[in-house]
Amino acid sequence: MTKKILLSFPQKAAGQPMAMELIKTYHLDFNILKAFIDDNIKGTLLLEIKGEEADIEAGIVYLRQHQIGVRDIESVVEVDPDKCVSCGACTAVCAVGALEMTADWSLIHHDDKCLECMLCVKACPMRAIHALI
Amino acid sequence: MAKSYQEINEKIARGEAVVVTAEEVIGIVKERGVKEAADYVDVVTTATFGPMCSSGAFLNFGHSDPPIRMGEISMNGVDAYGGLAAVDTYLGATQPSADKGIEYGGAHVIHDLIAGKEVHLVAKSQGTDCYPRTELDTWVKLEDLNEAYLFNPRNVYQNYNAAINGSSQRLYTYMGILQPNMGNITYSTAGELSPLLNDPLLKTIGMGTRIFFGGAQGHVSWMGTQFNTACPRDEKGYPQTPGATLALIGNMKEMDPKYIRGAVYEGYGTSMFVGVGIPIPILNEEIMAFVAVENKDLYTNVIDYSVPKKAKPVLKKVSYAELRSGSVDINGKNIRTSPLSSLKMAREIAEELNNWIKKGEFFLQEPIQSFPMGNSLKGLEIKEGESR
Ligand code: SF4
Ligand code: SF4
Repeated sequence: MTKKILLSFPQKAAGQPMAMELIKTYHLDFNILKAFIDDNIKGTLLLEIKGEEADIEAGIVYLRQHQIGVRDIESVVEVDPDKCVSCGACTAVCAVGALEMTADWSLIHHDDKCLECMLCVKACPMRAIHALI
Repeated sequence: MAKSYQEINEKIARGEAVVVTAEEVIGIVKERGVKEAADYVDVVTTATFGPMCSSGAFLNFGHSDPPIRMGEISMNGVDAYGGLAAVDTYLGATQPSADKGIEYGGAHVIHDLIAGKEVHLVAKSQGTDCYPRTELDTWVKLEDLNEAYLFNPRNVYQNYNAAINGSSQRLYTYMGILQPNMGNITYSTAGELSPLLNDPLLKTIGMGTRIFFGGAQGHVSWMGTQFNTACPRDEKGYPQTPGATLALIGNMKEMDPKYIRGAVYEGYGTSMFVGVGIPIPILNEEIMAFVAVENKDLYTNVIDYSVPKKAKPVLKKVSYAELRSGSVDINGKNIRTSPLSSLKMAREIAEELNNWIKKGEFFLQEPIQSFPMGNSLKGLEIKEGESR
């Protein structure tokens, strides 16, 4: 299976050696989608990992044991519900229907359908859509 | 039986007024018929929440010591108008900031003020005998200002075009992002809940009408700019193209930041989402019949925004029911439709206004002057030559 995870680690914990460990010990393949360091306080890595489900689970446990925060990510775009006014402008550019209006005209984000084209980020007049990468 | 404004206000004061939203009233009229419904219902609430660029705020900062006659004024880096008296200004919603451009503009400053945030005020002046100070750099909050009121020259359009893009390139417009090759259609309306579509001939909405404005009780102050009551109409009188508009006024100190928000249209500019609710008194059967209108009977034109002319080609006339269905058929192709104004928030505003009236906190104001019908639009001719 393939899974996207967002890792956050204290700046001194190096991301790369951890990743090497993941490959060796847990037979996981991975892709770094994005890496960034936030004001030298903490680092963040967005990874796509591939492997057996049990190995992925074990790998995540391993990372957590090393003080690395791990978050499952379905989609790399997130809608901030406090900023969203359900205007619908973002649905204009989402050709796959990952952003849709519900029957009562609220916005819903089906993150499993998202193709990560990022068009909606710029289409939102409230700047309520945030890209993780 | 006809009712007067006074009779309805007396019912509101007694807590007996029957108040429903413009969506709820449709079912009531279907069930009871226009005549009985007109007797039963006293007020119908309408609302809209969408981008309205022609908006802004008049502010008075009060005098510093020594005083200044502000010439160049900026608030959080957004220029405000310096051509009024010493410490008065007008801050326009679409003015971009010097540092963040359209990502943070006048509308965002207005929202931040209403949200109670401190705003960075910088002003410069030549200095005069009576206003010696030449520079000022300080922080202000809404509560520190003497007066702060929104005065929006053109809001709540009565009907508006739907937009499509017939070119092969993506377009960035005030109608949102339009995908190439007629990839999508956008539209901006509250439809059957929209204020001016429920009173198409402006029988009850005029100068002085009390309204819900950004969470405060405001007023209609004048006809809006580009007021076009001479627009094409259907046989009942509903506009089929952009028609009337309203100029609105209201006290920012009583507003709620939820209903006034800064907006950014990529590649176009800053705008402001404005929440407006207008009560329509059911004075007689004619007005009742007007407010019973449904999305299937309200029409607009799908216009090709890729044509860089003032008169853009109309591809199809469509009803709001078709636009709301999620797709429209154009030349045999099903094209996705998306709204740009929030029906969800418009419903919330109509409900809120409804509650104010039911609780006896909001009374109807009869217009002190009606707006002209048959008012048409002028264009701007580009004339050649030197000074004349
Ligand atoms: S464009 Fe932004 S504010 Fe509008 S519905 Fe989408 S996420 Fe919400
Ligand atoms: S990134 Fe693209 S596919 Fe994903 S929600 Fe936004 S517009 Fe839709």
